Amino acid sequence: MSALRRFLRNGTAVIGLLAFLAILAFALLAPVIYPGNPLAIAGAPLRPPGSPNLIAGSDMLGRNVAAGLAYGARVSLVIGLLSALLAIVIGAVLGAVAGYFGRWVDDAIMRFTEFFQIIPSFILLMVLIALMRPSVTATICGIALISWPQVARIVRAEFLVLRRAEFVEAARVQGFTTTHIITREIAPNALSPVIVIGSILVANAILTESALSFLGLGDPNLISWGYMIAASRSAMRLAWWTTVMPGLCIALTVLALNLVGDGLNDAFNRRLGEGGRA
Amino acid sequence: MELTRSLTTRRGFLQSVGGAAALAATAGYPEWVFAQTRSGVLNAMLNVEPATLNYALLNTSVIQSVCGSINESLLLFDWQLKPQPNLARSFSVSPDGLVYTFELEPDVKWHDGKPFTSKDVVFTCAKMLRELNPRSRAAMDRCESITAEGDHKVVFKLKEPFNAFILAFMASTGPMMPAHIYEGTDFRNNPANTAPIGTGPFKFAQWSKGNFIKLVRNENYWRKGQPYLDEVTFRIIASAEQRAVALETGAVDMAFGDDLDPIDVPRFRDSPGLVMVQNAYDAVGEITLMEINQRTAPFNDRRFRAAIMHAMDRNFLVDQLNFGMGRVADSPIFSTVPYYDPKVLTQYEYSPAKAKALLDDMGLKPGAGGVRHKFSVLMLPNQDGPWRRAGEYSKQALADVGLDVELQSTDVATFYKRNGDWDYDVMWNSYGQFGDPAIGMSRFFLSNNIRKGVPQTNTQGYVNPKVDELLQKGATAVKREDAQAAYSELQKILTEDVAMLWMYERRKPLFHAKKFKDVVLGPNGPCDGFGAAKPA
Amino acid sequence: MSTRATFLARRVVQAAMVVVGVVFLSFFLVRLAPGDAAMAIAGETGYSDPQYVADLRREFGLDKPVLTQFGIYLSKVAVGDLGFSYQKRQPVYDLIMERLPATLLLAGVVIVVSLIIGIFVGAVSAKYAGRFVDGVLRIFLMAFYAMPSYWLGLVLVLMFSVHLGWLPAFGIETMGGDPAPMARALDIGRHLVLPALTLGLFFAAIYARLTRAAMLEVVNLDFVRTARAKGISETRLFIRHVLRNALIPVVTYAGLQTSALVGGTVLVETVFSWPGIGRLAYDALIARDNNLLIGIFIFTSVLVVIFNLVTDLLYVVLDPRMELGK
Repeated sequence: MSALRRFLRNGTAVIGLLAFLAILAFALLAPVIYPGNPLAIAGAPLRPPGSPNLIAGSDMLGRNVAAGLAYGARVSLVIGLLSALLAIVIGAVLGAVAGYFGRWVDDAIMRFTEFFQIIPSFILLMVLIALMRPSVTATICGIALISWPQVARIVRAEFLVLRRAEFVEAARVQGFTTTHIITREIAPNALSPVIVIGSILVANAILTESALSFLGLGDPNLISWGYMIAASRSAMRLAWWTTVMPGLCIALTVLALNLVGDGLNDAFNRRLGEGGRA
Repeated sequence: MELTRSLTTRRGFLQSVGGAAALAATAGYPEWVFAQTRSGVLNAMLNVEPATLNYALLNTSVIQSVCGSINESLLLFDWQLKPQPNLARSFSVSPDGLVYTFELEPDVKWHDGKPFTSKDVVFTCAKMLRELNPRSRAAMDRCESITAEGDHKVVFKLKEPFNAFILAFMASTGPMMPAHIYEGTDFRNNPANTAPIGTGPFKFAQWSKGNFIKLVRNENYWRKGQPYLDEVTFRIIASAEQRAVALETGAVDMAFGDDLDPIDVPRFRDSPGLVMVQNAYDAVGEITLMEINQRTAPFNDRRFRAAIMHAMDRNFLVDQLNFGMGRVADSPIFSTVPYYDPKVLTQYEYSPAKAKALLDDMGLKPGAGGVRHKFSVLMLPNQDGPWRRAGEYSKQALADVGLDVELQSTDVATFYKRNGDWDYDVMWNSYGQFGDPAIGMSRFFLSNNIRKGVPQTNTQGYVNPKVDELLQKGATAVKREDAQAAYSELQKILTEDVAMLWMYERRKPLFHAKKFKDVVLGPNGPCDGFGAAKPA
Repeated sequence: MSTRATFLARRVVQAAMVVVGVVFLSFFLVRLAPGDAAMAIAGETGYSDPQYVADLRREFGLDKPVLTQFGIYLSKVAVGDLGFSYQKRQPVYDLIMERLPATLLLAGVVIVVSLIIGIFVGAVSAKYAGRFVDGVLRIFLMAFYAMPSYWLGLVLVLMFSVHLGWLPAFGIETMGGDPAPMARALDIGRHLVLPALTLGLFFAAIYARLTRAAMLEVVNLDFVRTARAKGISETRLFIRHVLRNALIPVVTYAGLQTSALVGGTVLVETVFSWPGIGRLAYDALIARDNNLLIGIFIFTSVLVVIFNLVTDLLYVVLDPRMELGK
């Protein structure tokens, strides 16, 4: 049975995938549903959900919360996807090099990786953001910089095993270059755990971004869910919707991504990579 | 709809709880239940842990709130900012405005039992404050000599008249420090910095780090009968929501001016168990403003600055974002400060049309996407609250007249670095008036106070010889009407010139439980201590 | 036995190297951030002049070249002196030790609670894998994993403190509370509930997932089949063989999570005004209180390293047959 088939047979995974697709559609259609700037003041502040034209109410500045949620989805997803991608690139390269070459190269890279796993990563992230000035780019780079070690460990473990595989030996005998062997022979076979961890990384990045925004270290020019919570948390008791709605959006997205991740994991029939010690 | 209804009932519920005892008691705060027997304790909050309790060393609002009850000043100031006796039972000024003589209360003791004398005053003013506190230094540097005559008299001789000098003896600027503890030591690392000794109504008792600070009654306080309370405690609560919960559930009896987000103010204002004091910080007289870096075009053009003023609906800032806690700032001088003169001010009412006309006049026509000019606005480094909302609002309001603003957020250190290094186009900031333009605002406009690398100076690069002259004249005039004339003309020039983008006067409300009275007795609020506070 | 000793010795040396790396990197990283403590303090007091900024820089030693500063710092750290905090004007070590108990208490309770809930739920899930109970349990716990912790904290406060009035919303103990040890412990316990739940549910979700996955894997292994064939009772088999072996990855992961836990406390301590290290780190960062921040980095890194070593030990204990190399 192919991995895809197995995935589609998994009820919770399919639910997760559908939920994620729905959020994706919500994000993509944001300019169609809510044309105009989501940060613009749309009417009276703190209107409850269900008010005319305000299905999710308005916030303290009179901005449309639903529009914020839609545009916030774009920002949260972009940050989540790009930082996960960047983390995978960094982690995969380092992990592949460490795993393929082994010995001192492996040792050096693993010590470096360990450093990032030992230092409290969220505090490190705050320092990195302060260093770069808060912006979307800073957030993406910062999150990638603290999350690549997971990828590196997994990729390294795969490479450690695969470099001794028969087809790799065969390629070596045929005289292919090291680069060719790493990228063409081993990498495709080490892909499935990376895909699994990828979905988890996206989810974690969305959570991390929201935490940064909560502490006032996000980009103030773009609306993201974390930003919405931070901006209206003091109104939480007067206007629960301003804080609860974006929080629910984050929870839903992260949940969906995790369900997908679990489904992929089961489909590829592997133990969740992050749990195992490489 | 269901949700809406439950919200209304919830709000009603919260309001009734606001200060009332019975319901809140279930929240696990037994203090409140026993309010009648334990009313001798006043529980307050701090929004951040104080760095030190050495009042002379650092002068942040949390330190003032705590140390105000521990250390005292020579004078108190009434609602009209007129000096009243305190540690100094009387004072006199020579007719030429050069000699200030203070007679001290004779029977004052420090908390450790040592007598308070003129030696302490001379040490504090000539040495300690002058070395540590820049605001105090600015005043004391004007002295030719500071001398003790006997144990209970101190004479200050000035080099030239300085009519704001007396304000240097206000609690927040001139707290008296014990010479026998500090003299000859490293002021910055003295053990008393974490266990302060003063002459005030309350003695330091305990500092549980990150948790609370406790003060207890000074049995030997010089003012007979005071204090009335047994203890004053300060609980450190870092988040605004939590502070609101604390006040609401009755876990604390008081919220200082920076403790609550303005959004919670209307709710607490209507609460039957609480008293709101709106002028407890008038002596500070804080104006929230935007600094604009006038070294380059178009920021050096008066029309551009005026356009920004017209583009911002400052009534919206006050009414919607600060829930009425304040007033539109129309002068560089806070409106309750004596020299404020409404007759001479150029007003900039909200008018996007006028803003656009001014920008058109400058030749800044709308380009692609209606954008006339792009620049950055640096927000105040607070995570949430009214300043953040004000920053967000400025982006939207300026977009409406074709100004494309990139908002920048920073942390505290970066913020002041960029302020001091002039590394900004426009930045939100605020200044305090401290009772007199010569102390509060002159430093932002004097051309000799342009100092790279030092935050909170004339970082805008504003240079106007006439303004320099008027500031000097206003500060040194011996006669009140001469000072007024200079400051009136100054206000006329500065507002005409839009020398800075003054937004609103922030009036931070102080709340306390109705079961206490006489908590705030003057515009210095908690800085004057809680010696007079008593159960109602 | 000797392989175990070498294995652990090697881990200790590696860990020490990493801690040295932390000292180097954090020192320079923190100094790369714009602004310094002198600027932050001068700005915050609202009134400053050149002398004020210069005095502060001199006091903090920030007027010297960076390399000189680093030399001074290294020579101090080498003898265990973490220096003085600029903002709080106290020895960094004292400040950390004052706050450490609160964080350790919170983190400890979180670890225990999350492991108990996580392993229990994970085991039940695995036992009923694929059935309705499994799906419900998984999604329920995973929902907590998906919620931002600070947001969950706010919602819990709103529900249990503001509305129901059952639990205190903030702080570690009631001020002026009963000083008797039992009463105080109880009081602290009540304050602990919400922050511990906020973080605990997050980690419980991870552990439940790991436990479930690991157990399902173990069930299919040969020795379990053999045991089953031998006629050992299902319950006994489940607990003695399956659960025990499945715990290995869970414990390993719990060890690796310590640094994430410390990071997580930053937010939760902020939301609940918990007087711990996490909040201290945030305050130190925004004020460029370099010594304090680096001190916290070093301290927490050492803690994490120790924790990981303990995990390694547990690993050895749990699975005597494991290969002790890489």
